[in-house]
Amino acid sequence: MAKIIACYKWVTDEADIRINSEGSIDFSKAKGKISDYDKNAIEAAMQAAQSIGASAVALTFGTAKAKLSLKDALTRGPAESFWVCSESAEKADGAATAKVLAEAVKKIGDYRLIICAEGASDTYARQVGPRIAARLDLPCITSVRGFEIQGDVITATRKLDNRTEVVKAGLPALISVLPEVNEAPIPGLKAVLDAGKKRSTEFKLQDIGLTDADVAPRTEVRDFKAYIMNRKNIIISADTNADKVKELVANLRKDGVI
Amino acid sequence: MPGIFVYADTVEACASLISAAYGSARGVCALTFDEKRADELGGYGADKVFLLKGDNPMQESYAKAIAALLAKEGPEVFLVGSSTTGREIAAKVAMYLDCGLVGDISSLAFEGGKTITTRYIYGGAAIQTEVLDGYAVVTVPKGKFEARKYEGKTSDVITLKVESDNRVTLKETIPLEKDSKDLGAANIVVCIGMGFDKKEDMKIAEDLGRVLGATIGCTRGIVEERHWLPAGSYIGISGTTVKPSMYISLGVSGQIQHVVGIRDSKIIVAVNSNANAPIFMAADYGIVGDMYEIIPLLTEAIRDVKV
Repeated sequence: MAKIIACYKWVTDEADIRINSEGSIDFSKAKGKISDYDKNAIEAAMQAAQSIGASAVALTFGTAKAKLSLKDALTRGPAESFWVCSESAEKADGAATAKVLAEAVKKIGDYRLIICAEGASDTYARQVGPRIAARLDLPCITSVRGFEIQGDVITATRKLDNRTEVVKAGLPALISVLPEVNEAPIPGLKAVLDAGKKRSTEFKLQDIGLTDADVAPRTEVRDFKAYIMNRKNIIISADTNADKVKELVANLRKDGVI
Repeated sequence: MPGIFVYADTVEACASLISAAYGSARGVCALTFDEKRADELGGYGADKVFLLKGDNPMQESYAKAIAALLAKEGPEVFLVGSSTTGREIAAKVAMYLDCGLVGDISSLAFEGGKTITTRYIYGGAAIQTEVLDGYAVVTVPKGKFEARKYEGKTSDVITLKVESDNRVTLKETIPLEKDSKDLGAANIVVCIGMGFDKKEDMKIAEDLGRVLGATIGCTRGIVEERHWLPAGSYIGISGTTVKPSMYISLGVSGQIQHVVGIRDSKIIVAVNSNANAPIFMAADYGIVGDMYEIIPLLTEAIRDVKV
């Protein structure tokens, strides 16, 4: 059966990140999660697969830690999952990630549509989708807020900075979707049980014809630190709400913003 | 002429990129599709302008042609204005040229042949510095650098016919609702959060907005879960970034994905009943209390000082 491939990333949950007082970041309590926006990409693949009678599959590139993601991805509906496992994923940039995913897509084969989220919730770099399309020489539609497929043609609505566009492309194609494309449901118990029975395939880089050198990042991370916003952080404490408001307005006038 | 190449889908954004590159001791070459205004770019400091011409209305369709032009000209860095169109072109060009891409930077410097960038990650909780050695693509948010005019400076405009990829075709263009278009440029923003119980309750926020002459924005939940406001209204990492002189949040918890979209505000005010809401960490002034009581009081107080 033809496939709709949803790409996703297993990321550190930013809600668990602790900022130390000297500005370093403590990841020790941080758990992994499927990137928030990728949940919408997976759901989009499910809906697309249903509409054209294809099979939705999930694809990720990650370190050994990403093994935890496979079942989570499958509970969201895909029939099968694929995981390119390499420790190089830890330092991979958009260039490396897109190469890996593109080569994995080729290996999976028989696809009609590739769906990525616009960006990952950790880096939100917004580059992997169009990079994959460039590598596979596929038509590419970014910033998609809605789409439908009829026969071999996808019609999508794109959100741009000052307008909306309706565009068409023939399949196979790649789209990158905004979170507003759908509401990703929370998987029920049955979906969780079903996921255990589904197949997951693990690839190593050599299985998809790549070497470690191919996936060396093109950018070098020199420094990484907590962002501390410099704000006044004044909590206005007066006895009544009316007094609080009065004090706030006085401050805003002093600052010259009203 | 190797140097820094810049592209943006508007002349204004292109001028801002030229000013980022100007004075880096390398020449600046601008790419534009704007036939009418291509000659203005010289006045903004471009040493050379390529006017690209093709039949496809979607500038995204020329990514491969732009990559081919860059491969031929061999610039050191390609700066792209971060619009939806610009980001797509940047990513494709970076892939065609197999080089690094740093997107939506918050700072940019050129040091000894290297490009040093910073950008926010983890929804804005952290800032990452990256070094790009050699050829690279960088996308720059709108308004990051101020465009400057150089009196008497002009440049050659070289017209170049470029091939488009016509596999994606444009069927219809719909202008955005005025409100959402204005949000990013608004001088005062009133933001509606999930603390509002009912859709009708938004009226008190709108009243406040009216006395302030503010534009109304909201959090992602208001658009996607409650469907109270159109998609263009939400502020945050996947929505609009605002940079007003004053941003007032009402019943907004302050998740990091939202906060990253308000960071460039001059003054941030937060009203929330929960003293532990993270929005207070990001605020200049906070009032803890029942916003249903506080908002009308604030509207009155502002009306009083305005008259």
